[in-house]
Amino acid sequence: MNSISRRAVLGGLAATGTLLAGCGRVDGKAPFRQLLRLSDEFTWRAQRLILAKHSLVRELPVSQLSARFPVNGTSMPQGDYYKRLVDGEFREWKLRLDGLVERPLALTLAQLKSLPARTQITMHNCDEGWSAVGQWTGVQLARLLALSGLKSTARYVVFHCLDKLDLDGNYYYESLDLFDALHPQTILAYGMNGKELPVDHGAPLRLRVETQIGYKNAKYVDRVEVVDRLNSIGKGRGGWWEDFDNAVWYAGQ
Amino acid sequence: MNAATGLSASDVDYRHPWSVRLWHWANAAVVAVLLMTGLLIFDIHPHLYWGEDGQGGVGAFLSLSGTHLERAVPETELSIGRYHWDVTGFLGSVIDDGFGGKYLLAASAPSDWEFGATRGWHFAFAWLLGLSLPAYLVYLLCSGRLRRMLLPTREELKPRGIVKEFWQHMRLKRARGEAARHYNVLQKLSYLVVIFILFPTLILSGLTMSNAVTAAFPDLFTLFGGRQSARSIHFMAAMLLVAFVLVHVFQVFVAGFFNSMRSMLTGRFLIEREARR
Repeated sequence: MNSISRRAVLGGLAATGTLLAGCGRVDGKAPFRQLLRLSDEFTWRAQRLILAKHSLVRELPVSQLSARFPVNGTSMPQGDYYKRLVDGEFREWKLRLDGLVERPLALTLAQLKSLPARTQITMHNCDEGWSAVGQWTGVQLARLLALSGLKSTARYVVFHCLDKLDLDGNYYYESLDLFDALHPQTILAYGMNGKELPVDHGAPLRLRVETQIGYKNAKYVDRVEVVDRLNSIGKGRGGWWEDFDNAVWYAGQ
Repeated sequence: MNAATGLSASDVDYRHPWSVRLWHWANAAVVAVLLMTGLLIFDIHPHLYWGEDGQGGVGAFLSLSGTHLERAVPETELSIGRYHWDVTGFLGSVIDDGFGGKYLLAASAPSDWEFGATRGWHFAFAWLLGLSLPAYLVYLLCSGRLRRMLLPTREELKPRGIVKEFWQHMRLKRARGEAARHYNVLQKLSYLVVIFILFPTLILSGLTMSNAVTAAFPDLFTLFGGRQSARSIHFMAAMLLVAFVLVHVFQVFVAGFFNSMRSMLTGRFLIEREARR
């Protein structure tokens, strides 16, 4: 899918439904929503149990790199600000790390690249069903969080992005619990397939969280905020798709 | 002899205890939701690949694709390998290609359909199946029902017996007398395949699509031959389950609709006497 959002496409569907016509409405009612959340929470707890040994997600050899890696969601963030950043090769840009940390950070791309890097070849699995293998280079999020020092009340890490996925002007965002955030393969990547991270894949920086499905891997990450709860951000469900499409927050299925 | 029904006790078989009936109906509902939500999930990327990765329909062995997207009912084509069928109006939404909604018999998703929520519902009901199936397997083994009702005898497995049973089915002949007291060999085999092969395959191939689960159990990739293979096997197993449901419902009518429904609701299955033949 190109830069038009899937939501916009779906919004245009003709309402001639019969087979599942009730779903949207049923879905909208609070008790059903609670049931969905309960199931998601159950999955979250269950997967925390099976991942108790901090198993790594499989890493693949170079020979398995996909020839084509689809671009999903935003391919070029709108607005002059981002265009200026691209024109200046992101030299004017800094990653902010703040919230419930002892030492808030603001790091340039050069500073991020000077930190020890991790390179991993992994499979990206989109919730739509396709898979593509890419090589990612970046800084472990755990290292950045250690640099800034988590406060004892820290529970979640929120990724604020530079792109707006919808016409209403809501910026994309995502969030992880500390388990996923501190996982060794969770990195903020500035390199893809041995080159600079391209604009359509989220330059200057994107999240790679290999224990999770595609939409959790936020592109165009601008600010990392450590919080104790998610309900004060956006519509309070922990991410853009969670807010506007009722996607599950713990998507690790 | 019961004066009201004219039946003696020996004419009624208490066939299904409450545990079987509960599992049957709960499962029917769960499978219905899983099939519908699964179809919607498939619909957003209607391509099946073999191996590890797969994207954009490139190298897919099964694809739905659309042309004339500007029309109210776009032309849709189903491709399996080198073969192509025009399925316009029957199958196929290709949201990836810029239009969407139609998937089966021209029924379409509601305008306020939320893909994210669809996945959520699929997983919620997958939990119900994933938890109830092992419980039912333990019950089947411990209660002796597996041996008593589901395992075919050596006699039944002889080719001639199977062919005869198949022929009985084709002529829509229902069993009477002693033969009606137990499942026939085709029923036994189809229930065994669904319970011991299709459901476990669906659950395991579904789990193989999870990054977190495969991090803990990487052997799942080996079992299914890759992530996209697992997705394709998941879909094909679901289609086999649909085929089972169709045959199963057909059999209910052959065996007698009211008698079958009563047996699955109250447990009691009426045995028709052979003399009436």
